[in-house]
Amino acid sequence: MSTVPGSGIVRGMALTFRRFFEPKATVRYPEVRPEIAPRNRGRLQLLHDENGHLKCETCFQCAQACPIECIDMGGVDTRGRYNVHWGPAETYGERREEAALRRSGRPVPDAAFASFAEVDLGPVSAVLVAHDHDPAHMLGILEETQAAYGYLPVAALRHISFATGAWYAMVYGTASYYRQFRLAPPADGDPALAAADRRPSEASFLSALDAALGMGPRPAPGNARTGDAAGPRA
Amino acid sequence: MTMAAVTWQRLRPVGRLLAVLVPILLALGLVSVGAIILAGPLAAGFVGDNVPLVRFVAAVTAVILLSIPTAFIVIFLELKVIARMNLRIGPERVGPYGGAMSVVHGLKVLAKEDFTPLGVDVTVFTMAPIVTFVGAIMTMLVIPFAPGLFGLDLNIGLLYLFAMSGLTVVGLLMAGWSSFNKYSLLGGLRSAAQMVSYEIPLTLSLVGIVLLAGTMSLNQLVLGQSGSFLDWNIWKQPLAFLIFFIAGTAEANRTPFDLTEADSELVGGFATEYSGMRFGFFFFAEYVNVFIVSALLVTFFLGGWTAPIAWPFAVTMPSLDPLGLGVGLLLGIAALPVVGTLILAAPFWLSSKITTLQALVIGFILFNVVAVGLVIGYAFVSFDWVVGLFWFFAKAYAFVFLFIWMRATLPRVRIDQLMGFAWKWLLPAALLNIFVTAAAITIVSK
Repeated sequence: MSTVPGSGIVRGMALTFRRFFEPKATVRYPEVRPEIAPRNRGRLQLLHDENGHLKCETCFQCAQACPIECIDMGGVDTRGRYNVHWGPAETYGERREEAALRRSGRPVPDAAFASFAEVDLGPVSAVLVAHDHDPAHMLGILEETQAAYGYLPVAALRHISFATGAWYAMVYGTASYYRQFRLAPPADGDPALAAADRRPSEASFLSALDAALGMGPRPAPGNARTGDAAGPRA
Repeated sequence: MTMAAVTWQRLRPVGRLLAVLVPILLALGLVSVGAIILAGPLAAGFVGDNVPLVRFVAAVTAVILLSIPTAFIVIFLELKVIARMNLRIGPERVGPYGGAMSVVHGLKVLAKEDFTPLGVDVTVFTMAPIVTFVGAIMTMLVIPFAPGLFGLDLNIGLLYLFAMSGLTVVGLLMAGWSSFNKYSLLGGLRSAAQMVSYEIPLTLSLVGIVLLAGTMSLNQLVLGQSGSFLDWNIWKQPLAFLIFFIAGTAEANRTPFDLTEADSELVGGFATEYSGMRFGFFFFAEYVNVFIVSALLVTFFLGGWTAPIAWPFAVTMPSLDPLGLGVGLLLGIAALPVVGTLILAAPFWLSSKITTLQALVIGFILFNVVAVGLVIGYAFVSFDWVVGLFWFFAKAYAFVFLFIWMRATLPRVRIDQLMGFAWKWLLPAALLNIFVTAAAITIVSK
């Protein structure tokens, strides 16, 4: 194809000419807003008040409340996580000590940290041993952990992260992505998720299958807990 | 406070402007009326005695004036076309469809500091962009834009053309030499080497056409190609067309031969030390050059202003004598804009969402569009030169588009490839073209 001299030029010119008529990639920003993923929280930024002072009071609550510990404060490199800098380290060193104390397990009287409560790590350790501490089995580990506790306690997730070597952010990301996982204990009378509700596309697929086979409505799976992914399908 | 001061204070800005402008305009009008009365016959006699001189001055003025919108249009096309080919939108905020972008660029360059570095030869440094610019636009003097619409019908038009485009090289060398900077000098020499090398095949490729047409006047060359598109020189001299196109690309410093100011590789070549409008003139000249090369391609090979297909049927417009129509009809014609506006506004007025004023504005704009369209259509069928201008600019801007298209596609050549191509391929091909043409003419005439 490239044996004819000049054929490359002709093909290149044809390509740019086609591009001339194709839809453009530019987003006219102020009028057109790009679609942002629902989980995107944007860039971490400290705000100033009308007098130009920082609104941040160095309370470290954001770093404490961040479920996947992606917020950290100060100028110290923290394993590639996002840092929020606003000044030299000595200006907030005291608060930093305090936050480190909290993270080390000091009980914090705040509802936001209830899920950080200690749990018995025996069941999750057994699950991890059964899976040989392999982070590639994360889905199975999480499902069996939830079967053991009824939900996924934060302490168990941290232990999984510690034992398998996977980043806590990845463990939490996996746990919060799939719908069969819950991060808080189920309320009384809260029905377990039906198998068809676990993944959104599965429901439509199953109903289409039922319609094609002429079957009636599917019986609700009785008391199935959400850890039976390996079990037989209804 | 005097009466005048109080009055001045009460005036709004518009009123103040008028209060200043109206007396000045009145005074200027009186002076010019007096000048015409006193010196009018003398001036008319001078113009009558020196028609060639007046025509030359008028043509040079027209050419300089034409170069401004031409450069702006070419720059705008370049921004827009390359953007679209890069899957971008390009300028669209300044002016309609981004149309004023290049004008704003020009204003920006004008507003910049015109800096003269220490140690430069100020006279030469200042003259260099002017020489380049003048060398570029003076070639437009001999280009026939339409039947009868050319600056000068030189019988050695072709020689004049190459002499003038040779001035561009002088300008670049002057810029490089006077900058007091060895890199500028090297850039100038590099540009001069490229331009001089490509001028040879550029000139030789046209010898075949001169042999065929037996004239060097550009007007005669175009007249010789009149008829249908089958009479164009491109069919008789395809090799010459190719050589002229490639060499012209190099002469206009366009991609893939834009080593003169290779934006992404050099600091700036000969223009390193230039800033402000002196720098602007170099690029003004460059963009006008793109149009000029396109115009020359059209003139030499694509029949200039001649239509590709002759208009199949003759149209004779009824000649209107406004004075012979009577006062009533004249009044009717005068009322036409009002009536047309009202008629065109009526359908919008009936729509419930549009107010009366908006409907009137829309109707007025629509009437203007229709009226201008009718006038242009009338001019198109009535005047040869309108048709000629249309075809000339249509063909020339098609080539401008092609040059921009090439810039959006092709990578830049290396300097050794550039020189090797000119001397090893284009020059022998041009000589071969001359030889074959001369041999064919000899055989046919025998």
